[in-house]
Amino acid sequence: MRALVIGGSGFLGLNLVDELLARGADVRVTRRRQTVTLLLRKRKVELFDASLDEPEKLRRAMDGRDVVFLAGAHYPRYSIDRDASIATGVRGVRNACEAALAAGVRRFVYTSSIASLAQAPTDRRADERDVPPTIPTDSVYRAVKWAMEREVDDARARGLDAVTLLPGGCLGPWDLRVGTGSFLVGTVRGLMPWWVDGCVNLVDVGDVARAHVAAASPTPLDRYCVAGHDVRVGWLLRHIVLRYGGAMPKRRLSPDDARARADADEIAAAPTKSRVPIPRELVDMAIAGQPVSSAPARVDLGVETTPLDRALDRAHEFYVRFRFIPSPERPMETA
Amino acid sequence: MMTTQQERRTKLVHLIATIAETDVASVRGEQRLREDLGMDSLGALELLSTVSEALSIDLDVEDAMDLRTVDDAARFVEKSYLEQHDDSVARA
Repeated sequence: MRALVIGGSGFLGLNLVDELLARGADVRVTRRRQTVTLLLRKRKVELFDASLDEPEKLRRAMDGRDVVFLAGAHYPRYSIDRDASIATGVRGVRNACEAALAAGVRRFVYTSSIASLAQAPTDRRADERDVPPTIPTDSVYRAVKWAMEREVDDARARGLDAVTLLPGGCLGPWDLRVGTGSFLVGTVRGLMPWWVDGCVNLVDVGDVARAHVAAASPTPLDRYCVAGHDVRVGWLLRHIVLRYGGAMPKRRLSPDDARARADADEIAAAPTKSRVPIPRELVDMAIAGQPVSSAPARVDLGVETTPLDRALDRAHEFYVRFRFIPSPERPMETA
Repeated sequence: MMTTQQERRTKLVHLIATIAETDVASVRGEQRLREDLGMDSLGALELLSTVSEALSIDLDVEDAMDLRTVDDAARFVEKSYLEQHDDSVARA
Protein backbone atom coordinates (compact mmCIF):
# COMPACT_ATOMS: atom_id res chain seq x y z
CA MET A 1 0.00 0.00 0.00
CA ARG A 2 1.28 3.48 -0.86
CA ALA A 3 -0.24 5.74 1.75
CA LEU A 4 -0.34 9.45 2.43
CA VAL A 5 -1.02 10.47 6.00
CA ILE A 6 -2.14 14.03 6.65
CA GLY A 7 -1.63 14.72 10.33
CA GLY A 8 1.01 12.06 10.76
CA SER A 9 2.88 13.92 13.49
CA GLY A 10 -0.14 13.99 15.80
CA PHE A 11 -1.40 11.52 18.38
CA LEU A 12 -3.46 9.27 16.15
CA GLY A 13 -1.22 10.07 13.18
CA LEU A 14 1.94 8.65 14.74
CA ASN A 15 0.13 5.50 15.83
CA LEU A 16 -1.33 5.17 12.33
CA VAL A 17 2.10 5.64 10.73
CA ASP A 18 3.53 2.92 12.99
CA GLU A 19 0.67 0.57 12.11
CA LEU A 20 1.13 1.21 8.38
CA LEU A 21 4.90 0.66 8.59
CA ALA A 22 4.34 -2.56 10.54
CA ARG A 23 2.16 -3.75 7.65
CA GLY A 24 4.93 -2.93 5.14
CA ALA A 25 3.27 0.13 3.64
CA ASP A 26 5.14 2.86 1.80
CA VAL A 27 4.29 5.92 3.87
CA ARG A 28 4.40 9.60 2.95
CA VAL A 29 3.46 12.19 5.56
CA THR A 30 2.61 15.83 4.97
CA ARG A 31 4.32 18.39 7.13
CA ARG A 32 3.70 22.05 7.78
CA ARG A 33 6.41 24.57 8.59
CA GLN A 34 5.83 24.26 12.35
CA THR A 35 5.27 20.49 12.41
CA VAL A 36 7.24 18.63 15.06
CA THR A 37 9.09 16.22 12.79
CA LEU A 38 11.49 14.89 15.41
CA LEU A 39 9.48 11.72 15.93
CA LEU A 40 8.62 11.22 12.26
CA ARG A 41 12.27 11.52 11.23
CA LYS A 42 13.02 8.50 13.41
CA ARG A 43 10.64 6.48 11.25
CA LYS A 44 10.99 5.26 7.67
CA VAL A 45 8.62 7.78 6.10
CA GLU A 46 8.85 10.39 3.37
CA LEU A 47 8.08 13.91 4.57
CA PHE A 48 6.24 16.11 2.09
CA ASP A 49 5.83 19.85 2.56
CA ALA A 50 2.08 20.58 2.32
CA SER A 51 -0.67 21.94 4.53
CA LEU A 52 -4.45 21.83 4.32
CA ASP A 53 -4.32 25.46 3.15
CA GLU A 54 -2.27 24.54 0.06
CA PRO A 55 -4.49 22.66 -2.44
CA GLU A 56 -1.87 22.31 -5.17
CA LYS A 57 0.78 20.99 -2.78
CA LEU A 58 -1.81 18.59 -1.37
CA ARG A 59 -2.56 17.27 -4.83
CA ARG A 60 1.13 16.72 -5.51
CA ALA A 61 1.49 14.99 -2.13
CA MET A 62 -1.27 12.59 -3.23
CA ASP A 63 0.34 11.75 -6.57
CA GLY A 64 0.99 8.03 -6.78
CA ARG A 65 -0.72 7.29 -3.47
CA ASP A 66 -3.36 4.54 -3.26
CA VAL A 67 -4.83 5.70 0.00
CA VAL A 68 -5.04 9.06 1.75
CA PHE A 69 -5.63 9.22 5.49
CA LEU A 70 -6.87 12.60 6.71
CA ALA A 71 -6.06 12.16 10.39
CA GLY A 72 -5.24 15.76 11.12
CA ALA A 73 -8.13 18.00 10.22
CA HIS A 74 -8.69 21.22 12.13
CA TYR A 75 -8.87 20.81 15.89
CA PRO A 76 -9.93 24.06 17.56
CA ARG A 77 -7.74 24.77 20.58
CA TYR A 78 -10.52 26.75 22.24
CA SER A 79 -14.30 26.81 21.81
CA ILE A 80 -14.40 30.57 21.49
CA ASP A 81 -14.79 31.60 17.86
CA ARG A 82 -17.39 29.27 16.39
CA ASP A 83 -17.64 30.77 12.90
CA ALA A 84 -13.88 31.02 12.37
CA SER A 85 -13.33 27.46 13.66
CA ILE A 86 -15.98 26.06 11.34
CA ALA A 87 -14.63 28.03 8.37
CA THR A 88 -11.07 26.85 8.98
CA GLY A 89 -12.12 23.25 9.42
CA VAL A 90 -14.37 23.16 6.37
CA ARG A 91 -11.76 24.85 4.16
CA GLY A 92 -9.09 22.32 5.08
CA VAL A 93 -11.25 19.24 4.57
CA ARG A 94 -12.61 20.65 1.31
CA ASN A 95 -9.07 21.23 0.03
CA ALA A 96 -8.06 17.68 0.94
CA CYS A 97 -11.13 16.17 -0.73
CA GLU A 98 -10.68 18.26 -3.89
CA ALA A 99 -7.03 17.26 -4.07
CA ALA A 100 -7.95 13.59 -3.64
CA LEU A 101 -10.53 13.82 -6.44
CA ALA A 102 -8.02 15.56 -8.70
CA ALA A 103 -5.25 13.09 -7.90
CA GLY A 104 -7.57 10.12 -8.43
CA VAL A 105 -6.73 8.42 -5.14
CA ARG A 106 -8.33 5.03 -4.74
CA ARG A 107 -9.48 5.44 -1.15
CA PHE A 108 -9.87 8.34 1.27
CA VAL A 109 -10.05 7.60 5.00
CA TYR A 110 -11.29 10.50 7.07
CA THR A 111 -11.02 10.71 10.86
CA SER A 112 -13.97 12.37 12.55
CA SER A 113 -15.19 11.77 16.10
CA ILE A 114 -18.12 10.33 18.01
CA ALA A 115 -18.69 13.99 18.92
CA SER A 116 -20.44 14.32 15.57
CA LEU A 117 -23.14 11.75 16.48
CA ALA A 118 -26.73 12.72 17.12
CA GLN A 119 -28.51 11.54 20.25
CA ALA A 120 -29.57 7.93 19.69
CA PRO A 121 -33.10 6.64 20.27
CA THR A 122 -33.58 5.56 23.89
CA ASP A 123 -33.78 1.86 23.04
CA ARG A 124 -30.23 1.46 21.71
CA ARG A 125 -26.67 2.76 21.85
CA ALA A 126 -25.59 5.48 19.44
CA ASP A 127 -23.90 4.36 16.25
CA GLU A 128 -22.95 5.52 12.76
CA ARG A 129 -26.60 5.87 11.75
CA ASP A 130 -27.05 8.79 14.11
CA VAL A 131 -26.27 11.87 12.04
CA PRO A 132 -27.58 15.21 13.31
CA PRO A 133 -29.84 16.69 10.61
CA THR A 134 -28.50 20.20 11.31
CA ILE A 135 -25.29 21.60 12.70
CA PRO A 136 -25.07 21.23 16.51
CA THR A 137 -25.57 24.48 18.39
CA ASP A 138 -24.50 23.34 21.86
CA SER A 139 -20.79 22.92 21.18
CA VAL A 140 -18.20 24.51 18.88
CA TYR A 141 -16.22 21.29 18.76
CA ARG A 142 -19.25 19.24 17.76
CA ALA A 143 -20.25 21.86 15.20
CA VAL A 144 -16.80 21.83 13.58
CA LYS A 145 -16.79 18.03 13.44
CA TRP A 146 -20.29 17.97 11.93
CA ALA A 147 -19.45 20.58 9.29
CA MET A 148 -16.22 18.85 8.26
CA GLU A 149 -18.01 15.52 7.88
CA ARG A 150 -20.48 17.12 5.51
CA GLU A 151 -17.59 18.14 3.24
CA VAL A 152 -16.52 14.52 3.03
CA ASP A 153 -20.12 13.48 2.32
CA ASP A 154 -20.25 16.04 -0.49
CA ALA A 155 -17.01 14.76 -2.02
CA ARG A 156 -18.29 11.19 -1.73
CA ALA A 157 -21.39 12.20 -3.68
CA ARG A 158 -19.08 13.54 -6.38
CA GLY A 159 -17.20 10.26 -6.70
CA LEU A 160 -14.58 10.16 -3.95
CA ASP A 161 -14.41 6.69 -2.39
CA ALA A 162 -14.33 7.97 1.16
CA VAL A 163 -14.96 6.30 4.48
CA THR A 164 -15.42 8.23 7.72
CA LEU A 165 -14.29 6.83 11.06
CA LEU A 166 -15.61 8.16 14.35
CA PRO A 167 -13.30 7.26 17.23
CA GLY A 168 -14.09 7.69 20.90
CA GLY A 169 -11.68 9.53 23.17
CA CYS A 170 -8.29 8.02 22.40
CA LEU A 171 -5.78 6.84 25.00
CA GLY A 172 -2.28 5.56 24.42
CA PRO A 173 1.27 6.42 23.41
CA TRP A 174 2.34 9.59 21.57
CA ASP A 175 -0.36 11.79 23.10
CA LEU A 176 2.04 14.70 23.32
CA ARG A 177 -0.75 17.27 23.41
CA VAL A 178 -2.46 15.33 26.22
CA GLY A 179 -6.01 15.30 24.89
CA THR A 180 -8.50 12.89 26.42
CA GLY A 181 -5.64 11.69 28.60
CA SER A 182 -5.79 14.97 30.53
CA PHE A 183 -8.29 13.12 32.76
CA LEU A 184 -5.47 10.74 33.65
CA VAL A 185 -2.60 13.23 33.93
CA GLY A 186 -4.67 15.84 35.76
CA THR A 187 -6.02 13.37 38.30
CA VAL A 188 -2.70 11.64 39.05
CA ARG A 189 -0.95 15.00 39.47
CA GLY A 190 -3.84 16.42 41.51
CA LEU A 191 -4.25 19.28 39.03
CA MET A 192 -7.94 18.89 38.21
CA PRO A 193 -9.64 21.82 39.95
CA TRP A 194 -13.17 20.57 39.27
CA TRP A 195 -15.12 18.00 37.33
CA VAL A 196 -18.47 17.51 35.69
CA ASP A 197 -20.21 14.18 35.42
CA GLY A 198 -21.35 12.61 32.21
CA CYS A 199 -20.61 9.69 29.92
CA VAL A 200 -17.31 9.37 28.05
CA ASN A 201 -16.19 6.71 25.64
CA LEU A 202 -12.53 5.70 25.82
CA VAL A 203 -10.68 3.66 23.23
CA ASP A 204 -7.08 2.54 22.84
CA VAL A 205 -5.43 4.53 20.05
CA GLY A 206 -3.93 1.30 18.71
CA ASP A 207 -7.44 -0.04 18.06
CA VAL A 208 -8.27 3.15 16.18
CA ALA A 209 -5.07 2.97 14.12
CA ARG A 210 -5.81 -0.63 13.16
CA ALA A 211 -9.36 0.33 12.19
CA HIS A 212 -7.94 3.01 9.90
CA VAL A 213 -5.67 0.57 8.11
CA ALA A 214 -8.56 -1.88 7.70
CA ALA A 215 -10.72 0.91 6.32
CA ALA A 216 -8.21 1.47 3.51
CA SER A 217 -9.87 -1.51 1.81
CA PRO A 218 -13.45 -1.32 0.52
CA THR A 219 -16.07 -1.57 3.27
CA PRO A 220 -19.83 -2.18 3.23
CA LEU A 221 -20.54 1.08 5.08
CA ASP A 222 -19.08 4.54 4.55
CA ARG A 223 -19.20 5.54 8.24
CA TYR A 224 -18.00 3.60 11.29
CA CYS A 225 -17.89 4.32 15.00
CA VAL A 226 -14.65 3.08 16.53
CA ALA A 227 -15.59 3.29 20.16
CA GLY A 228 -14.29 1.48 23.21
CA HIS A 229 -15.61 1.66 26.75
CA ASP A 230 -18.52 3.75 28.03
CA VAL A 231 -17.80 5.06 31.52
CA ARG A 232 -19.10 7.78 33.81
CA VAL A 233 -16.61 10.54 34.49
CA GLY A 234 -16.94 10.15 38.28
CA TRP A 235 -16.25 6.44 38.08
CA LEU A 236 -13.27 7.03 35.78
CA LEU A 237 -11.64 9.58 38.09
CA ARG A 238 -12.04 7.32 41.13
CA HIS A 239 -10.69 4.38 39.14
CA ILE A 240 -7.62 6.42 38.13
CA VAL A 241 -6.95 7.42 41.75
CA LEU A 242 -7.19 3.82 42.90
CA ARG A 243 -4.99 2.49 40.09
CA TYR A 244 -2.32 5.20 39.78
CA GLY A 245 -2.68 7.50 42.77
CA GLY A 246 -3.53 11.18 42.79
CA ALA A 247 -6.66 12.85 44.08
CA MET A 248 -10.27 13.30 43.09
CA PRO A 249 -10.95 16.90 42.14
CA LYS A 250 -12.66 18.57 45.09
CA ARG A 251 -15.46 20.42 43.30
CA ARG A 252 -18.15 18.82 41.18
CA LEU A 253 -19.85 21.38 38.96
CA SER A 254 -23.25 21.31 37.35
CA PRO A 255 -23.25 21.19 33.53
CA ASP A 256 -24.10 24.90 33.26
CA ASP A 257 -21.41 25.89 35.75
CA ALA A 258 -18.86 23.63 34.03
CA ARG A 259 -19.55 25.22 30.65
CA ALA A 260 -19.27 28.71 32.12
CA ARG A 261 -16.05 27.86 33.97
CA ALA A 262 -14.46 26.26 30.90
CA ASP A 263 -15.46 29.25 28.75
CA ALA A 264 -13.96 31.70 31.24
CA ASP A 265 -10.74 29.70 31.45
CA GLU A 266 -10.40 29.61 27.66
CA ILE A 267 -11.05 33.34 27.26
CA ALA A 268 -8.37 34.02 29.88
CA ALA A 269 -5.90 31.59 28.25
CA ALA A 270 -6.39 32.66 24.65
CA PRO A 271 -4.12 35.74 24.60
CA THR A 272 -1.11 33.64 25.62
CA LYS A 273 -2.32 30.47 23.85
CA SER A 274 -1.83 28.57 27.09
CA ARG A 275 -3.54 25.38 28.21
CA VAL A 276 -6.63 25.31 30.35
CA PRO A 277 -7.20 22.67 33.06
CA ILE A 278 -10.34 21.33 31.36
CA PRO A 279 -11.20 22.50 27.82
CA ARG A 280 -14.80 23.32 26.93
CA GLU A 281 -14.60 20.57 24.30
CA LEU A 282 -14.12 17.90 27.01
CA VAL A 283 -16.96 19.38 29.04
CA ASP A 284 -19.24 19.20 26.00
CA MET A 285 -18.16 15.64 25.27
CA ALA A 286 -18.96 14.52 28.82
CA ILE A 287 -22.28 16.34 29.13
CA ALA A 288 -23.55 15.21 25.71
CA GLY A 289 -21.90 11.81 26.04
CA GLN A 290 -23.90 8.68 25.40
CA PRO A 291 -23.12 4.95 25.14
CA VAL A 292 -21.75 4.16 21.69
CA SER A 293 -21.73 0.90 19.76
CA SER A 294 -18.90 -0.26 17.49
CA ALA A 295 -20.61 -3.44 16.34
CA PRO A 296 -20.26 -2.77 12.57
CA ALA A 297 -16.58 -1.84 12.96
CA ARG A 298 -15.94 -5.09 14.83
CA VAL A 299 -17.52 -7.07 12.02
CA ASP A 300 -16.38 -5.13 8.94
CA LEU A 301 -13.02 -3.79 10.12
CA GLY A 302 -12.08 -6.62 12.47
CA VAL A 303 -11.55 -4.19 15.33
CA GLU A 304 -10.81 -5.84 18.68
CA THR A 305 -11.35 -3.63 21.70
CA THR A 306 -8.38 -3.38 24.04
CA PRO A 307 -9.51 -3.73 27.68
CA LEU A 308 -9.90 -0.37 29.43
CA ASP A 309 -7.23 -1.02 32.08
CA ARG A 310 -4.75 -2.04 29.39
CA ALA A 311 -5.49 1.16 27.45
CA LEU A 312 -5.10 3.23 30.63
CA ASP A 313 -1.84 1.44 31.49
CA ARG A 314 -0.42 2.13 28.02
CA ALA A 315 -1.32 5.79 28.32
CA HIS A 316 0.04 6.01 31.88
CA GLU A 317 3.30 4.38 30.81
CA PHE A 318 3.70 6.95 28.03
CA TYR A 319 2.96 9.91 30.28
CA VAL A 320 5.52 8.69 32.83
CA ARG A 321 8.11 8.04 30.14
CA PHE A 322 7.67 11.56 28.76
CA ARG A 323 7.50 13.19 32.22
CA PHE A 324 3.89 14.31 32.08
CA ILE A 325 3.44 12.21 35.21
CA PRO A 326 6.18 11.97 37.86
CA SER A 327 7.65 8.62 38.76
CA PRO A 328 9.74 7.64 41.83
CA GLU A 329 12.81 7.49 39.59
CA ARG A 330 12.18 10.84 37.93
CA PRO A 331 10.18 13.19 40.14
CA MET A 332 8.90 16.35 38.50
CA GLU A 333 10.29 19.73 39.39
CA THR A 334 7.78 22.11 40.85
CA ALA A 335 7.85 25.76 39.90
CA MET B 1 27.22 22.80 7.10
CA MET B 2 29.83 23.39 9.78
CA THR B 3 28.83 25.87 12.50
CA THR B 4 30.50 27.18 15.62
CA GLN B 5 29.19 26.69 19.14
CA GLN B 6 28.25 30.37 19.28
CA GLU B 7 26.32 30.12 16.02
CA ARG B 8 24.46 27.09 17.32
CA ARG B 9 23.55 28.84 20.55
CA THR B 10 22.41 31.93 18.66
CA LYS B 11 20.23 29.76 16.44
CA LEU B 12 18.70 28.10 19.49
CA VAL B 13 17.99 31.38 21.25
CA HIS B 14 16.33 32.81 18.15
CA LEU B 15 14.11 29.74 17.90
CA ILE B 16 13.22 29.94 21.58
CA ALA B 17 12.25 33.58 21.13
CA THR B 18 10.10 32.72 18.11
CA ILE B 19 8.28 29.85 19.79
CA ALA B 20 7.87 31.69 23.10
CA GLU B 21 6.82 34.80 21.16
CA THR B 22 9.27 37.02 22.99
CA ASP B 23 12.13 39.33 22.11
CA VAL B 24 15.48 37.64 21.37
CA ALA B 25 17.34 40.11 23.55
CA SER B 26 15.23 39.17 26.56
CA VAL B 27 16.08 35.45 26.45
CA ARG B 28 18.63 34.56 29.14
CA GLY B 29 20.39 31.31 29.91
CA GLU B 30 18.93 30.80 33.37
CA GLN B 31 15.33 31.27 32.23
CA ARG B 32 13.12 28.25 32.62
CA LEU B 33 11.46 27.11 29.41
CA ARG B 34 8.17 26.30 31.09
CA GLU B 35 7.73 28.72 33.96
CA ASP B 36 9.54 31.79 32.60
CA LEU B 37 9.00 31.45 28.87
CA GLY B 38 5.58 29.78 28.93
CA MET B 39 6.71 26.94 26.75
CA ASP B 40 4.72 23.75 27.28
CA SER B 41 6.01 20.25 26.50
CA LEU B 42 4.87 20.56 22.92
CA GLY B 43 6.61 23.90 22.56
CA ALA B 44 9.85 22.36 23.84
CA LEU B 45 9.45 19.54 21.34
CA GLU B 46 8.77 22.02 18.54
CA LEU B 47 11.94 23.85 19.52
CA LEU B 48 14.12 20.76 19.50
CA SER B 49 12.52 19.45 16.34
CA THR B 50 13.36 22.69 14.53
CA VAL B 51 16.88 22.79 15.96
CA SER B 52 17.55 19.20 15.00
CA GLU B 53 16.48 19.93 11.42
CA ALA B 54 18.49 23.15 11.22
CA LEU B 55 21.66 21.51 12.56
CA SER B 56 21.13 18.07 11.00
CA ILE B 57 21.28 16.26 14.32
CA ASP B 58 19.17 13.56 15.90
CA LEU B 59 17.91 14.37 19.40
CA ASP B 60 16.64 11.92 21.99
CA VAL B 61 13.06 12.94 22.64
CA GLU B 62 12.80 11.43 26.10
CA ASP B 63 15.96 13.14 27.32
CA ALA B 64 14.69 16.36 25.80
CA MET B 65 11.67 16.27 28.11
CA ASP B 66 14.04 16.77 31.09
CA LEU B 67 15.30 20.12 29.88
CA ARG B 68 14.38 22.96 32.21
CA THR B 69 16.31 26.08 31.24
CA VAL B 70 17.64 27.76 28.13
CA ASP B 71 21.18 26.76 29.20
CA ASP B 72 20.02 23.12 29.63
CA ALA B 73 18.70 23.18 26.07
CA ALA B 74 21.92 24.74 24.74
CA ARG B 75 24.08 22.12 26.50
CA PHE B 76 21.84 19.30 25.27
CA VAL B 77 21.96 20.50 21.67
CA GLU B 78 25.73 21.08 21.85
CA LYS B 79 26.41 17.63 23.30
CA SER B 80 24.25 15.95 20.64
CA TYR B 81 25.86 18.02 17.88
CA LEU B 82 29.42 17.17 18.92
CA GLU B 83 28.57 13.48 19.26
CA GLN B 84 27.20 13.40 15.74
CA HIS B 85 29.56 15.77 13.88
CA ASP B 86 33.26 15.26 13.56
CA ASP B 87 34.06 18.96 13.67
CA SER B 88 36.02 19.57 16.82
CA VAL B 89 37.71 22.47 15.05
CA ALA B 90 34.37 24.30 15.02
CA ARG B 91 33.94 24.38 18.81
CA ALA B 92 35.44 27.81 19.31
